Amino acid sequence: MGWNEFFLALGETVGMTVIATILAYLVGMPLGILLYMTGKKGLKPNRALNFVIGILVNTLRSVPCLILIIILIPLTRGVFGRATGAWYTMIIPLFFASFAYVARVIETSLNEVDQGVVETARSMGASTFQIVWKVLLREARPSLVLGLSLSTISILGYTAFAFDFGAGGLIARAYSIYNNHPMNYLSRPDIWVILILIVIVVQVIQELGLYWSKQIDKRRIAK
Amino acid sequence: MPEIEIRNLCKSFGDKTILDHVSLEIEKGDVYGVLGLSGAGKSTLVRCINGLEIPDGGEIYYRGELLCSPSKRIEKQKRSKIAMIFQQFNLLEQRSVLGNVLLGLEIVKFGDRMRRREKAMECLRRVGLEDKADAYPANLSGGQKQRVAIARALALDPEVILSDEATSALDPETTQSILSLLKELNKELGITIVMISHQLGVIESICNKVAILDNAKLVEQGELSDVFLNPKTEIARSLIYADHVHTALNEHHFIRLLFDGNSDEPIIANIVQQCSLLVSIVYASTKVIDGKVYGQTVIKRPKEEADREKLKKYLQLRHVKFEEVKSLGME
Repeated sequence: MGWNEFFLALGETVGMTVIATILAYLVGMPLGILLYMTGKKGLKPNRALNFVIGILVNTLRSVPCLILIIILIPLTRGVFGRATGAWYTMIIPLFFASFAYVARVIETSLNEVDQGVVETARSMGASTFQIVWKVLLREARPSLVLGLSLSTISILGYTAFAFDFGAGGLIARAYSIYNNHPMNYLSRPDIWVILILIVIVVQVIQELGLYWSKQIDKRRIAK
Repeated sequence: MPEIEIRNLCKSFGDKTILDHVSLEIEKGDVYGVLGLSGAGKSTLVRCINGLEIPDGGEIYYRGELLCSPSKRIEKQKRSKIAMIFQQFNLLEQRSVLGNVLLGLEIVKFGDRMRRREKAMECLRRVGLEDKADAYPANLSGGQKQRVAIARALALDPEVILSDEATSALDPETTQSILSLLKELNKELGITIVMISHQLGVIESICNKVAILDNAKLVEQGELSDVFLNPKTEIARSLIYADHVHTALNEHHFIRLLFDGNSDEPIIANIVQQCSLLVSIVYASTKVIDGKVYGQTVIKRPKEEADREKLKKYLQLRHVKFEEVKSLGME
């Protein structure tokens, strides 16, 4: 494998991960907020709605990613004209596999916000929208950023399934190397290059998340 | 017309009754203390006043108008007139000091950006923290945090400030400085203050009226000096003496002397000299309330009947109010 191929595979992995993550947040974020709001300690406790969303989220999370991809083949085909063989065909399945996870991550971050400040805003007559926008999302920001890097890494992990559908990316490429050279794949440098690249990508996402979260977190003590 | 009138307020959580037909009136300009042990229902009472809890029964009136009842939720504009400060300050950690004070102004959409800023800075100046405008709560002391919370409350030009144990997380010195700030706001801006506390010292240092809550019921209320000098109920006695008295003293009998602010005479020294009785003081406390000196001193009752009579006669002669007490309230 030449360097061009490595970078092409890297580009495919990053492409499907980033786009799927963005889509997952577009849906998962409102869903997570809704989960929090309808929850026991939320702004508008609503057991029935919370239960329904909870079931939906849990069901989606318990369907194995591979099965989800198969189920979604008609949809992917409808959108892109094909369901296999190109990196972007992974976007829809990755999105479906992860937005429920994102919703739970968001819910957890919001749950960490001190009830007291929510109450204070309420005592000032803040509307629900104002509380979500000015208090909850604002106070949870550092934790939301950490959640973002966590979600991105988990979506990156799902890109492995691209192998089964010829959709490319780094992880799938590593698996093909094994397939093509089952006897000596471990002594081939390209599989190790891929491994190192993946480790670097994960590290970068994790460290960026940590750094960004720390940067915006005002709870640190100034020197 | 009272500023706030509470009529037959009831509230329970599950089968636990938190407030049982509580009624009280708070006049404009009062610093009204609500004293009680933890779990007596004090917090729930103030939380009902600004709509954080919905009562199960009864009504609350604000200047004669129905503020809230089981069937009427508090209106938004009214909420901003009744501000609240908390024991845990409840500052937004991710907003600067200025940002915290701006919160309420943003919520009520007061003026434009510049006007809001000016107003917030004005409030910070009032509490003496204008130089901390750009700091974040993590870098403030407890007292400073509570000052920010007070500035945030002031930003909405409140008529009433509800203080829910606002000084309970602070050291004694800081407590005093927060209390004098509140007193200042009460005097200069005419803001009515409702002060919840389990600390007797807090209530007696700034309140002019007090209500005592015990097990969901209002057991005593009135002018601070009346209630504190003549506590009628067991719970009031124990609250008023609790901090100072050791249970081991309960075997003895005592005499409690009450000073109503008119006496300059060194009563105790005179008892010793003029009755030739040796007095053993077990508890003493004098306070300045509204400029007058009040106080009480509890002494051991003399063992001999003759000495007791002598002491009583002397006290009657000197117009010192006194009463015999068996225990000091701690069972």
